[in-house]
Amino acid sequence: MKKVIEVKNLSKAYKTLKVLEHVSFDVKEGEILGFLGPNGSGKTTTIHCILTLLRFNEGTINIFGEEMKPDSYELKRQIGVVFQEVAVFEELSVFDNIDYFCGLYIQDKKQRKQYVEEAIQFVGLEHYKTFYPKQLSGGLLRRLNIACGIAHKPRLIFLDEPTVAVDPQSRNNILEGIKKLREQGATIIYTTHYMEEVDILCDRIIILDQGKILAEGTPNELKELANIEEKITVEVTNMTEKIIEGIRKFKTVDQVMFEEGILVVTYHKGKNNLSQLVDYLKENKVVYHKIFSERPTLNDVFLQLTGKELRD
Amino acid sequence: MFWHNFKYSFKTLLKNKTLVFWTLLFPIILGIFFHLAFSDIEKKETLDLIDIAVVSNDAFHENKLLAETLRVLSDDKNEQRLFQTSYVSLAKAQKLLKENKVIGYVLVDEDIHLTVNSNGVDETVFAFVMDEIKVKQKMMEAFTREETITKYSQGELVDYEKIYRQASQLLQQDTDVIHDISNQNLSYTMIEYYTLIAMACLYGGMLAMYITNYKLANMNCVGKRTSISPVSKGTMLLGSLCASYLIQLIGLLLLFLFTIFVLHVDYGNHLLAMILLACCGSLAGLSLGIVVATLIKTNENAKTGILIAITMCGCFFSGMMGITMKYIIDKNIPLLNKLNPASMITDGFYALYYYDHFDRFLFDVISLLLFSLVMMILSFHELRRQTYDHI
Repeated sequence: MKKVIEVKNLSKAYKTLKVLEHVSFDVKEGEILGFLGPNGSGKTTTIHCILTLLRFNEGTINIFGEEMKPDSYELKRQIGVVFQEVAVFEELSVFDNIDYFCGLYIQDKKQRKQYVEEAIQFVGLEHYKTFYPKQLSGGLLRRLNIACGIAHKPRLIFLDEPTVAVDPQSRNNILEGIKKLREQGATIIYTTHYMEEVDILCDRIIILDQGKILAEGTPNELKELANIEEKITVEVTNMTEKIIEGIRKFKTVDQVMFEEGILVVTYHKGKNNLSQLVDYLKENKVVYHKIFSERPTLNDVFLQLTGKELRD
Repeated sequence: MFWHNFKYSFKTLLKNKTLVFWTLLFPIILGIFFHLAFSDIEKKETLDLIDIAVVSNDAFHENKLLAETLRVLSDDKNEQRLFQTSYVSLAKAQKLLKENKVIGYVLVDEDIHLTVNSNGVDETVFAFVMDEIKVKQKMMEAFTREETITKYSQGELVDYEKIYRQASQLLQQDTDVIHDISNQNLSYTMIEYYTLIAMACLYGGMLAMYITNYKLANMNCVGKRTSISPVSKGTMLLGSLCASYLIQLIGLLLLFLFTIFVLHVDYGNHLLAMILLACCGSLAGLSLGIVVATLIKTNENAKTGILIAITMCGCFFSGMMGITMKYIIDKNIPLLNKLNPASMITDGFYALYYYDHFDRFLFDVISLLLFSLVMMILSFHELRRQTYDHI
């Protein structure tokens, strides 16, 4: 597959504060690449550098095989961006907003009208065409924001945390929309600090923290990095240090944590971990209420890599 | 692309109520205030006569200059009549003053003596006129003395009557000059209207600043979106600025129409030239708005504050809060008013009013256009391929 974006050795600093340190990655045609990281990790800065909004100290950025510069208008024509903040004119209606931004890319009036109508339909704002932004709810505003960014049918789309502060219904609508965009052939770079979203959407994920790439791969590849096979959580009423020590002695156990009546046991391998644990608890007359087993999440990966939670 | 930006900028600006208020309505409202405040003052100034008394004795009748001046200034056929004069005896004059029927009286013996009851505007005017007469009398005496000595030293016969006639003629010429200028003196209200138009022109800068901010990625999210589009900032801004200029011109047209037809302001014979000057002034205001938007790196509110401060200072220095300020600046820091667009605009208006030729007016028009050009070059240069260190 062709490389749509090639970023090599990208570094940026504000005086002495390094915000990006030798960031390098590729984005292949037709894939959804997820940028995962906590707030301030450098996700948005990377996108702004790629879009030539920000100056950077070092590195090269190529898009569609060409170097990206502030006046690379032909490259810009093929890019769509949905910013983290809602970027629309308060004074223009839903239709006018989309028409204005689409018009910066599509000169032909007839084609533009068709694109605008399609974008409105895509985000489900058919009944709000004449509404002004201040008349829309947060979720609808986000949808308008998306429509303004993708109405001109770009080949490369940057979506910078498009689901922040959005109700579950609009969030699902947005995620479904992104899948549709990929089906239509667009390459997507999706930044978020919601690990569930990248897990569902992305073909590949880059984990960023403090301006550095910590890990890169498919969701499954990353989960393997965490060296966790299974995580069992048990709600218990009585627990002693002796019992916890006993659990730690199991061969496949990686970690045991007990806090406020919740016992969490992580395993690096093993097939019958759950039954083994239940039997042990019964033997030691530990009363338990709820018990469930789960596969490791990207948060576990992040925790393993950085020692902190993703949303810290 | 030009029309696309023009159309949507026009819509955006017209739908912003705050901008519409400050650029279109505020100058009209201020015009109404000026009308209410100053037209009354002027009427009062022209209608209120000052009651004075003159002690009618021989010395007064011998002082032809004083007698004639007071006669002219008390003549009811004279449009610039100042005094309602009673020619009475000293006792009667004192009685009238005591009863406050006059504000003062004049008694002539070897000198001219003025007696007033209190300090006020009328008393000051009376005292001023008397002082002027005294000065002129001294000038006549000095002229007569010099002429007499000259003739005497040349051995010629001294014709006192001729010398006196010459002195009177000289004085008359001097008075005529003063008279002519006073006829052309601008009323205070007109000066205020001129500055009001200058302010309206510069206030248009807010429209330009607002629409320019939408093209700057470090200002707002829309700025980010427009900055990543495949259209150069110059192309985008050109359409937007034309839209804001059109709205400015509509605002000015409304202001002219309102002041002429509702407030009955008489702009004289050069209305078209005034409109041309106002159009150039608006261009200067617009360019000021772009410069503040592009060169000053701060948030939108601070930029608005800075632009309003520049505009108001410009208007203040050009005489909005008192014409004396313009003279003070012209005298002490002439460069400031040469660079002040508000001053260029008001100066152009004064030039149209005072002079029969257009030299100074054209100088002001060219100055405004040059000012606009320089500001725009600076702004567009700053905008060109702009990237930021942080946004």
